[in-house]
Amino acid sequence: MAELTKEHIDYIIKDLNYRGIIAEGVQEELLDHICSLTEGEMEKGSRFIDAYHLALRSFGHTAGLRQTQKQIIKAENTKPTDMLKNYFIIALRNLRKHSFYSFINVAGLSIGLAICMIIVLFVYNEWQYDKHFTNADRIYRIRCEVTFGGNDIKGLYTPGPMAATLLADYPEVEAAVRLRDRGSYLVKRTTENIKEQKVMWVDKDFFKVFSIPLLAGNPATALAEPNSIAISKTLADKLFPNENALGQTLILDNEINAKVGAIYADLPAQSHFHFQLLISTEGDARIKQDDRWYSNNFYTYVLLRDGADPKQLESKFPQLIVERTLPQLKDVLGSDFSMEKFKEAGNKLEYYLQPITDIHLKSAFTGEFEPNFDINYIYLFGAVAMFILIIACINFMNLSTARSANRAKEVGIRKVMGSFRSHLMRQFLTESVLLSLLSLLLAVGLAYFLLPIFNDLSERQLTIPLGSGFFYGTVIGAGLLVGLAAGVYPSFFLSAFKPVQVLKGHVALGMKSGVIRSALVVFQFTVSIFLVISTLAVYRQLNFIQNKKLGFTKEQVIVIEDAYALGDNRMAFKNEVMSTGKITSATMSGFLPVAGGFRGDNPWWIEGRDPAQQENLVSLQNWWVDHDYIKTLGMQVKMGRDFSMDFPSDSLAVILNEAAVKTFNFPGEVIGSRIATFGNAPTGGPDKENLIVLTVVGVVENFHYESLKQNITPVMMALGKRVNGPISFRFQSQDAQEIIQLVESKWKQIAPGEPFAYYFLDEKFGSMYAAEMRLGKVFGVFAVLAILIASLGLFALTAFTAEQRTKEIGIRKVLGASVSSIVLLLSKEFGKLVVIAFVLAAPLAWLGIDWWLKEYTYRTEIGVGLYFLAGIAAFLVAWITMSFQSFRAAANDPVKSLRSE
Amino acid sequence: MHSPELLKGTLQTIILKVLKDHGKMYGYEITQRVKELSDSRLLLTEGALYPTLHKLEADGLLKTETVLLGKRVRKYYTLTTEGKSLVKERVSELVDFIKTMSNVLQVKLA
Repeated sequence: MAELTKEHIDYIIKDLNYRGIIAEGVQEELLDHICSLTEGEMEKGSRFIDAYHLALRSFGHTAGLRQTQKQIIKAENTKPTDMLKNYFIIALRNLRKHSFYSFINVAGLSIGLAICMIIVLFVYNEWQYDKHFTNADRIYRIRCEVTFGGNDIKGLYTPGPMAATLLADYPEVEAAVRLRDRGSYLVKRTTENIKEQKVMWVDKDFFKVFSIPLLAGNPATALAEPNSIAISKTLADKLFPNENALGQTLILDNEINAKVGAIYADLPAQSHFHFQLLISTEGDARIKQDDRWYSNNFYTYVLLRDGADPKQLESKFPQLIVERTLPQLKDVLGSDFSMEKFKEAGNKLEYYLQPITDIHLKSAFTGEFEPNFDINYIYLFGAVAMFILIIACINFMNLSTARSANRAKEVGIRKVMGSFRSHLMRQFLTESVLLSLLSLLLAVGLAYFLLPIFNDLSERQLTIPLGSGFFYGTVIGAGLLVGLAAGVYPSFFLSAFKPVQVLKGHVALGMKSGVIRSALVVFQFTVSIFLVISTLAVYRQLNFIQNKKLGFTKEQVIVIEDAYALGDNRMAFKNEVMSTGKITSATMSGFLPVAGGFRGDNPWWIEGRDPAQQENLVSLQNWWVDHDYIKTLGMQVKMGRDFSMDFPSDSLAVILNEAAVKTFNFPGEVIGSRIATFGNAPTGGPDKENLIVLTVVGVVENFHYESLKQNITPVMMALGKRVNGPISFRFQSQDAQEIIQLVESKWKQIAPGEPFAYYFLDEKFGSMYAAEMRLGKVFGVFAVLAILIASLGLFALTAFTAEQRTKEIGIRKVLGASVSSIVLLLSKEFGKLVVIAFVLAAPLAWLGIDWWLKEYTYRTEIGVGLYFLAGIAAFLVAWITMSFQSFRAAANDPVKSLRSE
Repeated sequence: MHSPELLKGTLQTIILKVLKDHGKMYGYEITQRVKELSDSRLLLTEGALYPTLHKLEADGLLKTETVLLGKRVRKYYTLTTEGKSLVKERVSELVDFIKTMSNVLQVKLA
């Protein structure tokens, strides 16, 4: 047999290397095989080179050889866990070796993940509202849209007879129930009254529609008797500690003797109402038998039959109005009233069905029981949480690719040693997943501590479901996903290096090839600056609202609630408090210019005109006040005069606001004009025999009496005959505490046993904007975190650049560069990016702010200054972060940096 | 020449049997031996042979020893005890299979 010479074998080895057959063990074996094959061919008389190529052909040339090599390596790896273990160990070592960068990554990621986790919990919580009712998918609330007499109401109030009619005449309806809100009640067993805010009059079928578990009592009969009530467990425990409340008697408002017919379990937090006390409508004939279709005072809920189509029921409502409401309206407004004319005048009356599960997120109408949430904010929060997480992921990507120069050699060596690209990608992905799982662990801890703060802000009771397997599954799944998402770009980037180039030192990477990296930094800062601008805008609008001239003086007014508990001693109480000398004036009226005050409107017309003509009617807020009302609340009389004891005729006088004057458009002098309406019949309907005529004696400047989101509508104020409602005192003293004590002591003296409840007018005013306040705070937190995470990334990137350019900095210093010029040099690159980010963020923020401010009738001017303020703030934060690193690098002794080689 | 597709499932058995009959062999030798036994009708490709050898080694059925031949290194494969005990089983399995195939295909084997 022909033996190959040494030179031949050397040639073959070299050739195999060139063809990429390098794996240890494989090369030797294939070499031997090829040599044997070649020798066989040479035996047959071929020249060496021809024989060698024949041998190669039997392998399938380079591709076949490589394929074989790959197959062999694969066949040997029978235990994949070995490799995973290896990936894991290497990943750990890498993270530990670059602990500074790992720390930055983990810090950013865990903050981002914690925020995300909280937001997800929150969003999930919001979606769960009202789903606990057994038939939640079949319960609907009826809402109305009314435009009439210049008023435009989207509300939840419906006519009294609607529920019964729907149940009787519409086969889709399985059960219907009415709710009637009459404000808070004083509740007592024997002597001590407590005040209960969450009270509702309900029809006896309440528990048929709402499946609230009863702890005692029969749901079918609990509310069937007149004066029967149902109370929540909380209220039962408060009033009847360690006793059976069922069948006991309670006294409501010192006049109704009510019997407890049922005790129901407390409603879960995720309900759109939390009534503590339900009073049966059976006991009040005016409520029970209210048959007025033109007067909307009730909430109506219906339970549809299984399979009934709510759209179909809704489409029958216009016909219902024609059949029921129209005849009654004709009665009231004159026989020539018709739906066509009504609509022609730009009016409308429509009813809609609202699924109960939509109420929490998609309903913000007049008369909501509790403030609901807005689904737009859910989307907004979700988006912001997403963005913060992305910012954190970008840190990871940027740091990984930026440091690629350091790892390029590793990649080259690994490839030469036989790693495939897929192996390297797995290695890098393992590192990022490990990092993200580590961050996740911290994030859960962080979320645990942050949740109480968030709950405080959002007024929720969220908890981390530490006992739920689903939670862990989701969290770990999310961790893997984030790890993969953050790692996939660096792993592609790093594993693509060509070993030959890398090992020759051609790493044209470092900071210069970072187009994508720059784009990512720009993205991070765009989001951050957007959030900062938005936060500032929210705060500016809130500030604007708080300081806007309202048309009345909200400061230094204390309002005493439930004055009716004083009974006939109301005036005595008022005078007692007045007599202390600390009070400048006092008024007794429930019609207060803050949300939650009494309201009531009626159509009026200029005396002498025909009320049957719709264009003559003006819908006015009818506020019943006393002589000191305008003085106490600090409204400005613009024309005419205030009510006065000197004019006994003032009992028939009226004071209008400017909006009312404008809408009436009096033909002559405003002062002295007369307006008219029908008084109320005992049944509640208008009494045509009873024409009320009032003379205008004054006009007050427009004042805001609802949220600044709404326009000022026409208001009239007249002297009320029956004085009830809260008593407001205007005081001079700066010491509010002193005033509270003073008023309370008088209260205790005159009405022992009655609960003392008060608020300050300006606080109540502020609470109208509580939602905005919270939004501002939440956004503030988001903005700070976004900037923080983005800056962390920048911090690390600058540190890295400085490290890369140590030599350059050394040489520059030797040649005479100053520290400041070097700091500038290092910061310039990223500074530019922050400026670009600002240019991008500003128009986006402008759009966002514009959208948010749309719902405000009265909005602040967001000047250019605010944008620049935000931009400069972001730039400063970024610049300080960078210059910290830059300065450290620049201040280094050049001797040290240059001597190291 | 037989199609390599047909060879696929039987490759391990062939290698084990050849090694059992001949004791120590290296890769090239195995291909030559199979070629000889089959009258050149079975050609083991290198791309199939070596991965299978390494797989069998990783599974503990084969052991190897290397012999230095000047610049070349020759790797010899032999059966381990585990491998030896398995050969008989594998061969009878294949024979069964061939019988089944003859029934399925309705042909008589010579």
